[in-house]
Amino acid sequence: MTKFLAIVKHEYKKVVLKWSFLIGTMLLPLLAVGFAVVPALIFSIKGEPTRIAIVDPTGNITPRLRENLSTERLAERRREAARDAVTNISTDQNEQLNRTAEQFQEAFIFTEFDSTGRAAESVRSELTSMIIRGEIDAFLIIPTDIEASDARFEFRSRRAGDIVTNDSFRNALNRAVRSQRLANADISEERLAQLSGNVNFDAKGIDDRGEDKDTSGLMIASLIIGLMIYVTLAIYGQAILGAVVEEKETRIAEILFSSARPFELMMGKLVGVGMAGLTQLGIWVLTAAVLISFLAFQSDLAPLVASVPPITPLMIVYFLIFFLVGFFTYAAIFALIGSMVTSVQEGGQFAFPPIMLLLVGFYLSFAVMRDPNSSLSFWASIAPFFSPITMPVRILAEMPPFWHILLAVAVNSIAIAGLVWLTSRVYRVGMLMYGKRATLPEVLKWIRQV
Amino acid sequence: MLDISQPAISLKISNVSKRFGEFAAVEDLSFDVKVGRIFGFLGPNGAGKTTTIRMIVGITAPDEGSITLFDQRMSSGLQNRIGYLPEERGLYRKMKVVDQLRYFAALKGVSQSVADERIDKWLGRMELSEWKKKKTSDLSKGMQQKIQFIATVLHDPDLLILDEPFSGLDPINVEFMIDVLAEFKSNEKTIIFSTHLMETAERLCHDIVLINRGRKVVSGSLREIKESYGQNLIAFRGTNADAILGDASIIERVVTHSDAQELHLAEGVDPQDVLRRMVESGVIVSRFERTEPSLNDIFIEKVRGAA
Repeated sequence: MTKFLAIVKHEYKKVVLKWSFLIGTMLLPLLAVGFAVVPALIFSIKGEPTRIAIVDPTGNITPRLRENLSTERLAERRREAARDAVTNISTDQNEQLNRTAEQFQEAFIFTEFDSTGRAAESVRSELTSMIIRGEIDAFLIIPTDIEASDARFEFRSRRAGDIVTNDSFRNALNRAVRSQRLANADISEERLAQLSGNVNFDAKGIDDRGEDKDTSGLMIASLIIGLMIYVTLAIYGQAILGAVVEEKETRIAEILFSSARPFELMMGKLVGVGMAGLTQLGIWVLTAAVLISFLAFQSDLAPLVASVPPITPLMIVYFLIFFLVGFFTYAAIFALIGSMVTSVQEGGQFAFPPIMLLLVGFYLSFAVMRDPNSSLSFWASIAPFFSPITMPVRILAEMPPFWHILLAVAVNSIAIAGLVWLTSRVYRVGMLMYGKRATLPEVLKWIRQV
Repeated sequence: MLDISQPAISLKISNVSKRFGEFAAVEDLSFDVKVGRIFGFLGPNGAGKTTTIRMIVGITAPDEGSITLFDQRMSSGLQNRIGYLPEERGLYRKMKVVDQLRYFAALKGVSQSVADERIDKWLGRMELSEWKKKKTSDLSKGMQQKIQFIATVLHDPDLLILDEPFSGLDPINVEFMIDVLAEFKSNEKTIIFSTHLMETAERLCHDIVLINRGRKVVSGSLREIKESYGQNLIAFRGTNADAILGDASIIERVVTHSDAQELHLAEGVDPQDVLRRMVESGVIVSRFERTEPSLNDIFIEKVRGAA
């Protein structure tokens, strides 16, 4: 037992005391923080306001446009946008950019341009020369008849490439023109507000107890959990592969085998590296908890955060259990490969099949996420190789009956026992075979060998 | 009462066989190794030395026969009393010297405080103290070999098995390591020394076993073996001797070395007679010495004879 502990300690330290571990542990949370915070930071930097001259023969559009671009309206739009984000998280990138753009406050300085009695051409050329002289940045010419089907709103800007500003300006103009058209049709402002309000699209899942639950943040959370387990399993599986091949390549195995039983050595390696993986995952979970509570204070994202299903301590325990289940499944496979090959490069080629299995599990988790109660979800979350990714996602989507979890753990434990047995048979012989890669018949012979 | 002149047997190999499929790596091999002596385990490449050693250290089990160490059947518990320096040595490339040594000691059941004390002692003895915190990849090959040796003896094993311990060492370091071995050797220790370098084996070993193709060819004390082979060998240097050297009735074979000739006398020929006839026939003798065959000669003869 003391030898086993020495092996575990050695393998654990070998992983954890490496720079790559430290960097990896820090990098993922930093990336996550980066994705969450940096874009907001960048867009919150105020640009120079756009000075814009407006030619408005109707006299009605400009006030509406101004109002739409005013601070209060922008704030209101932001609240709407946040509400939209909650009910429809697949909002495309463009929308998101627009929303962020609307965080500009007083991004526009308006200049009215009196064009009464002047020819359209001369107005246009004067405005153009004002842009050239740098007096204004853009101008907008509103047509006299805004209801005509061929009505053209001419917008010219020296900053034509500033898509963000242009888009939010276009949106504000659209809304201004639309409401003016409605007003022209004798619909009152209040009625208008009433009519043009967004519907309150209330999408919620219903769980087994018949209680409503908000599913909007689910997809993101599931994706993060699925990805996290996938990445960790792939990384730690390869770490096992590397460690096994190193001991074989350098012939350290011979010394090790003369000191401890091969089974002890192999299990010590799996347990040691597995604990290193748990350490890293633990750090990530803590960081995620801190990050989520930090985001919760950012009022804009609060509804989104609130809609992430509450992650209970029990869930975290389940996640860690299924991480370990996955770790032992894949680590055993990678150790098996490691003891068959002769070099790290060769091992890399053979790492493809288990990585494929992991990837299938990751894709299956999308199906599970969409319908956690389907029979596909049931089998995918029980089956060995896939269960470690799909079950946590299923638990997050909707807590399955306890016996499902128990069954998954039982089925996977049997699979792990089989894999570990197989690997230990190959390991004890393969680690001492130098020179060439083992062929399949040879490996089968090793397995049968007493 | 134990007879002190006859040291106790620490390792007993009895009728051991090991096969890999059709191939018999070791066939019906038996020999004894005595406490307090250096035992030479000799044989050409592929003779079955490594296979036998792996069975002795408990990495693999024999198909037939038995291995008894310190009067016990070989078991994993006995592994802590063995120090094994394999031919193909390895260290963790990116690990510090001290960390590797601690790990190897821990695998042999040595507590860290004891290990640390011994690591310092041995690094000092090997003149490697300043390399303690360095990684293996920073060390020269000779230094790595010394570190490997330290890893083999940290748990103060009763049986030390060294497989080609001097390969890759320069002559100065070979001498150095021989001194270290001499210090380690005591009346309680058994050292098995496996090599195909006969000069070194000849210098160091008290007893040998020579195996070829998995079978024992010769075994016994080096002295006895040499005597049994060395009845009629003369080291000779002189001029004007062509006539006598060419006489096949007296001299069977002449092997010419750079500074002397080795005369293999025909069976039943007395060296005294040969010397007398040389002097009588006017040969100017500057060296005429009865010698023993070198272990190398015995090795070559036995291995060639078997082929």
